[in-house]
Parts: sequence; structure tokens; C-alpha cells
Amino acid sequence: MLVIRRRAGEALVIGDDIEIEILETAGSSVKLGIRAPKSIPVARKEIHVVGRQNQAAAGTISPLAVENLLDQLKSPSLRPISAL
Amino acid sequence: MPIAITKRFGDLEYEETAAIQFPTGLPGFDNRHRFVLVEEPRLAPLAFLQSLESPELSFLTVPVHVVDASYELAISEQDLETIGMDLASEKLCLALLAPAENGRLTANLLAPVVINPMTRVAVQAVRSDTRYSHQHALEDICS
Repeated sequence: MLVIRRRAGEALVIGDDIEIEILETAGSSVKLGIRAPKSIPVARKEIHVVGRQNQAAAGTISPLAVENLLDQLKSPSLRPISAL
Repeated sequence: MPIAITKRFGDLEYEETAAIQFPTGLPGFDNRHRFVLVEEPRLAPLAFLQSLESPELSFLTVPVHVVDASYELAISEQDLETIGMDLASEKLCLALLAPAENGRLTANLLAPVVINPMTRVAVQAVRSDTRYSHQHALEDICS
């Protein structure tokens, strides 16, 4: 990972087409401005991670995996405390 | 009753009032706004979140508290506004399940689907903390 320290008002350039500017620093958060071609999506990292995970979740889930999970959920040793 | 064409369930009859609307879609599926929860008694507490717009799109879900009884929901102001609820009111929270490389299922506790039980408006509330995993191994079901 390339580590760079910048102040508000300073910027980074990635390749020829992507620019990130530090617009404002306030307390523990940073306001960033990003200039990139429309063809390059920019997302908060956790949104990107969840988008990928959703793609995986939308794929085939084997009936065996479902049966294994149902067995696990019905196992007496896993009965929720609230049932007592 | 309206009928949805689905790959998993064939032609699915559903109550319009049961349809779940995602005004902002889901990450990776931004243009998918309408779903219905399909529950088969045999599969309880699992349920399928079936798209009413894409026949082949469905997610297997489990209530988050079945995976982790002490789960604490973190949801942004923006997401609360999307579903028209306040922090205190009771919400239906479902984790989407996905297969891990070893074939076993993992639950996305980082981004539960949160449903307003009165209006059926929903959002996938992505946490900005790292307290829970997007691939929570289900061997670790905590009761």
C-alpha cells in the first residue's frame, strides 16, 4: 500500500484520469472529492464489498448446504436461551 | 392475486401487500426494487427473498438473531429515512446467505436487509464499522 500524508486542499492523481482531492478535514473524518471517468465506478469500500457478496449470494446454493444448515439450526444444543 | 414468474418456484402467486419494496435497490442490484419473501414451513427459519422483477434472482435469508442472538443493529440515519422508521421501533432484520469456498453457508451480518414490518419498505443497511463480518461462518451460530 502506498502511504501518503496530505492536508486539506491537497490532491492525489492515480494514472492519468483519476484525481482525489482532500476537501476538508474535520475531527476524525475527511471529506474527499473524486474526479474519475464515468466508466470507473467509485464506491465506499463497504458498499463495494457488499455488492460483491450479494452477487455471490445470488448464485446457486446447493440443496445439501441448505440441509446441513437446517440440521444445524434444529440441533438441540443450539436451542436459543429465550426458549427456556 | 398477482403472479410472479420465478426460476426457483415457477409461477408464484403472492399478495400485493406482501411485496417488499427496496427504494434504493441493493448493492450490486441497484435497479432491483421489488421482492417477496417466500417461506416454506420445511425450511423455517430460512426464507427466500425472491425478486419480482428478475425470475432468476433470489436470495436465501435467515433472521440475524438466529445467527447471533445478541446481534446489535447499526443503521444510518439515511437508511432509517429510506424505510421511514426510527431507531427504537422493531424491524425485521434478515441476513443474506452465500456459499463459502468450502461449500458451507455464510451470513452477511455486515449488511442485513432491514424491513419496515408495517409498510414492507426495506433497505440493505451496510454498516460502516467492522464489528460484524460480511461472511459470518455459520458453524459459529451463537444461541
